[in-house]
Amino acid sequence: MANSLPMRSGFAQLRRAPLVLFVAVYTVVTGGPLLWVAMMSLRTTAEIFKNPYGFPAPAHWEKFVDAWTKSNYATYFWNSTIVVLIAVALVTAVGAMVAHCLARYSFRGNRLVRFAILTGLVLPPQLVILALFQILLDLNLYNTLTGLILVYVATHIAMTVYVLEGFFAQIPQDLFDAARMDGYSDFEIFWRVTVPIGAPAIFTTVTLNFIVLWNEFLFAVVLLTDDNKRTLPLGIMHFTGSHQLDVGMAATGLMIAMLPVIVVYAFFSDTMIKGMTAGAVR
Amino acid sequence: MRIFDRLYRRVTRSSAEATIDARRATLAILIAFLAPALLIYAGFTIYPVVRTFYNAFHTIKPQGVVEFVGLDNFRALVFADSTFWKAVANTAWFTIVATIVDVVGGLLLALCLFVRVPLAPVLRVVWFTPVLMSYVVVGIIWVWMYDYDWGLVNATLRWLGLGAFEQSWLGHPSTALWSVLVAHEWKWLGFNMIVFLAALHALPAEVLGAAELDNCGWFAKLVHIIVPMLRTTIVNLTVLSFIGKMMVFDLVWVMTGGGPLWSSETVSTYVYKRAFEWNTFDLGYPSAIAVLWFAIILLFVALMTRLLRQRDRIEF
Repeated sequence: MANSLPMRSGFAQLRRAPLVLFVAVYTVVTGGPLLWVAMMSLRTTAEIFKNPYGFPAPAHWEKFVDAWTKSNYATYFWNSTIVVLIAVALVTAVGAMVAHCLARYSFRGNRLVRFAILTGLVLPPQLVILALFQILLDLNLYNTLTGLILVYVATHIAMTVYVLEGFFAQIPQDLFDAARMDGYSDFEIFWRVTVPIGAPAIFTTVTLNFIVLWNEFLFAVVLLTDDNKRTLPLGIMHFTGSHQLDVGMAATGLMIAMLPVIVVYAFFSDTMIKGMTAGAVR
Repeated sequence: MRIFDRLYRRVTRSSAEATIDARRATLAILIAFLAPALLIYAGFTIYPVVRTFYNAFHTIKPQGVVEFVGLDNFRALVFADSTFWKAVANTAWFTIVATIVDVVGGLLLALCLFVRVPLAPVLRVVWFTPVLMSYVVVGIIWVWMYDYDWGLVNATLRWLGLGAFEQSWLGHPSTALWSVLVAHEWKWLGFNMIVFLAALHALPAEVLGAAELDNCGWFAKLVHIIVPMLRTTIVNLTVLSFIGKMMVFDLVWVMTGGGPLWSSETVSTYVYKRAFEWNTFDLGYPSAIAVLWFAIILLFVALMTRLLRQRDRIEF
């Protein structure tokens, strides 16, 4: 045993060489393109066409200022921010209320409500998008941020309730019985017991919805037409389409779209990973 | 009448009665908790679905012109629309290949991290990053990657001395769909990897240790121990991946728009085109496609869960 161990690890090392090589190659393939875009975002288009893979020396930080002031990126960015913040706040609030209600109270129709909402998990967007176009036209909400926010809330309730209800249901019933004894009203129980204890799960759905909505494209492309209403994904697509040769500026735009997600990711990578996979793991 | 009676009693139930059982609530309370979400959900999800089904049997023109056509849309779709069938074939190939790559690739990557390659915690974060990028960002990055003159793909081929394989990847009908698929997998492999990694860490350590003592080779260990124990995760990810791929839209739309020559057209991009870019201005026909496709997805998901799942059921 004493001398078989080093030998085994020697073999293991040899066997690990292809593994390490594969891992290295895959890391370059995932990280490389992102690094490439990050470098291009700091270089002018002329520099890029001279040498597409050069380092950003000197780094043109002023390109971010230009993107912000001389093109419409600032508008796109604020539209995205407004839509996503309001939609996430709303979907979290109404979703948490439903999840609490389904997890805590036994009432007639409980299963029906749960089934109706969770059906939303499997509905393809194509099945709602065409009719939504008509409905928002009827309601004069077509091509408005309000309409898009309502659609985002409606289409993300299912996932939010799914994740939250699973977590809320595990909170011990004793806590609620005690709160009742202490004379808490139904809403106080929700606000002062479920919400604080369920905070980690709520935070998970907030990050999940933030990423998904920040990146959302299909609903936005169908429901918005004005340039000054476009969210970031639409704006970038529009900019790249109309300035096909200005690769440098488009790269700066991509970075502007990615930065909020990357910043949040840098601080909360574990929560974000948990959020993105919340639906599949449970 | 009895229903009203009961309703009345429930609404007016004395607060003393309600305080006894924390599992009971008055109807008013239930409505207060459920109504905001249910109203938005009914108005902007359930009603649209119902209306799409209605639309599928009508011709819907602008200015509110609605004409009942029965099954004509479906008949035209199935028997006379060669573009639809091209889109179906593309989507089917895309779905089959991408689902397999998702599950097999995700498992292999997770195993790499599971056996503790150097820097595993860092790699986990790096590999997951593309999952967080929007399809538009991923699509534009990969359009550049595939650029004939200065894209990284052709540059790498030249550097490896494989210049003969240089391609206009997105511009050629035989490579466009597969090039989009590579970009799609680039985005999603990290997701599958993370889910598998979580499942692997949840496996009982004794079993893997026992296999180690039995001097079980890594391949035997993978096939006979790890895969069977991960069965539920594998089934879940297969179904999830299948549904996602059957509806693939964003990346195709950003990268190729379905071209060239319908070679990367998918069912979803075709629905979008028929609804908003076709000179027929008819919402009925694309609704029929959406309804038919939804039915097909449901059918296959039911079939797959039936075949693969055996004991355990879908849990909502």
